[in-house]
Amino acid sequence: MFHRPRVIPSLLLRKNGLVKTLKFKDQRYIGDPINAVKIFNEKGVDELVLLDITATTDKRGPNLPLLARIAAEAFMPMAYGGGITQFEEIREILRLGYEKVIMNTSAIENAELIREASECFGSQSIVISLDTKKNFFGNYHVMTHSGSNDTKLDPVQFAQEAEKLGAGEILLYSVDKDGTMSGYDLSLIKKVSEAVNLPVVACGGAGRVDDFAAALHAGAAAVSAGSLFVFYGKHKAVLITFPTDEELTKAGVFES
Amino acid sequence: MKQYQICTRCIMDTSDPEITFDENGVCNHCHNFDVNIKPTWRPDETGKEMLEKIVEKIKRESQKNEYEAIIGLSGGVDSSYLAYVAVKQLGLRVLPVHIDGGWNSEIAVRNIENVCKSLGLDLHTYVVDWDEMNDLQAAFVRSGLANLDVPQDHAFYAGVYKFAADNNIRYVLSGSNWATEGILPPAWGYMAKDRRHLEGVHERFGKMKLKTFPRISMLERKLYYPYIKGIKVVTVLDYMPYNKQDAMKVLETLGWRYYGGKHFESRFTKFFQAYYLPTKFGYDKRRAHLSSLVVSGQMTREQALAEMETEQYQPDELREDREYVLRKLDMSEEEFEAILKAPNRTFRDYPSSHEYLEVFRKIRSFFRKFM
Ligand SMILES: [Zn+2]
Repeated sequence: MFHRPRVIPSLLLRKNGLVKTLKFKDQRYIGDPINAVKIFNEKGVDELVLLDITATTDKRGPNLPLLARIAAEAFMPMAYGGGITQFEEIREILRLGYEKVIMNTSAIENAELIREASECFGSQSIVISLDTKKNFFGNYHVMTHSGSNDTKLDPVQFAQEAEKLGAGEILLYSVDKDGTMSGYDLSLIKKVSEAVNLPVVACGGAGRVDDFAAALHAGAAAVSAGSLFVFYGKHKAVLITFPTDEELTKAGVFES
Repeated sequence: MKQYQICTRCIMDTSDPEITFDENGVCNHCHNFDVNIKPTWRPDETGKEMLEKIVEKIKRESQKNEYEAIIGLSGGVDSSYLAYVAVKQLGLRVLPVHIDGGWNSEIAVRNIENVCKSLGLDLHTYVVDWDEMNDLQAAFVRSGLANLDVPQDHAFYAGVYKFAADNNIRYVLSGSNWATEGILPPAWGYMAKDRRHLEGVHERFGKMKLKTFPRISMLERKLYYPYIKGIKVVTVLDYMPYNKQDAMKVLETLGWRYYGGKHFESRFTKFFQAYYLPTKFGYDKRRAHLSSLVVSGQMTREQALAEMETEQYQPDELREDREYVLRKLDMSEEEFEAILKAPNRTFRDYPSSHEYLEVFRKIRSFFRKFM
């Protein structure tokens, strides 16, 4: 059977620009989102995740005019997250052409919004971003507000809760792995993906194409990465790149 | 209106308002090439020897450095071939520096990646703040000037110099060359290196303050970087036979691809050169580029004329690029249409260092004559 799991670049918005973080901190500017999305589009990526990482902390909603301009460059499915608190915002983002909306802080502060939105727009368009951080004792906690607020919630329980509310997918972020390019947190992926029937997208830590195969093997349905698709070489030079089908097949990500 | 005339040797014509012809119908650009450029262009044995000496000196002076020289890498033919020459022929440890002005095409980034990977090179990228770049570029579009590439070119130039200085790298290898760029009429657009001009235009039409945009002043360019910091620019391709077609064949073995026109690795430059300039100003930069190839012996005059007949844009491609450029600049169709119809301006309508540079040039030629 031909198996081709989704490989998804995730891009982080700060105001009008893109940044890349290390453990959700140390934001480094990497350029204009419109051009970046156009390049990814021409590289033929399957899907793209766009997260506005300062919307919630700035206490504002999604930047809809900018989202509209970005969407015009994307022919592939796009998912947007960041600052969504209103039902109307979800409707508007989907109307702009985004296939999915991603919620994190809202999912915890306003569970009703998840239920309502998945009933109205369908589960497939509602993604919950689970930002997790390991504490001193090795326990995973769910974080909100771009990783700055510890809810003390357990990711497994929360994932099951999200499933009940009607979410269609989980974006599973490891805050500790973010930007390190040292490989995914495989035990986290295993834990969460075993506990739910929802597709889990692994996020945080990918440093080479081989890491994708490991995450998929641990139970992820799809893989996402940031640094790997925007940095080149030892100086981490900003350069957008995406592996070819041959490279993905060779690494065991695609199976034929 | 002047009567139409075209040079009998190259293909420059009266679309250059300042062109002059001799009694044989040969233009001033051809004469300039013969008198001023040819003596400094060395695609021969003497060039080879000179370059060997330069490379020896670079190696001697940069022994302790991780990198002996930097090269500005855009993904275009000249800079990519320069990287190839520096590594494969000159054996230099070079660090490519890419200045990302926000208009990279997919081909450009793929070329940079493939060139670096196949030559085993590291890379450094300086990403220009897009908000500032956007504001500056929109300011130039609103200015009615011909050279809308000033912001991109200036950032590139200043960014590479600054990187060299900050990292104590004393040699900058440049891909600019007489073989493919020997002819360019000054009337077709003021130079990008003039900080006063860049800031003057921005002052008039910009909306935000420039904070991080890389800039380089005349003093820095003429004095500070070369004499205080000791940075030398070497135009490597001028010391060897440089043939564009042959260079592209070599580059294709590295996984490099051609993108269809000089400097079209930038999406903005393509739109600007293939649409904006011919539409608003009535000239086509290909004419100068192809004339350069004719006088440097890479192409016949007939081939150049035939090349001019090809279309640079298919209609849907043009529509797509135009929508893209305007969306990216956040400029409306109506405003852009009005700009296309507004009177054309020259650099004399705005601040510049032109007069100082003229004085500087005169002093220098005075000293050259008498010393
Ligand atoms: Zn001529």
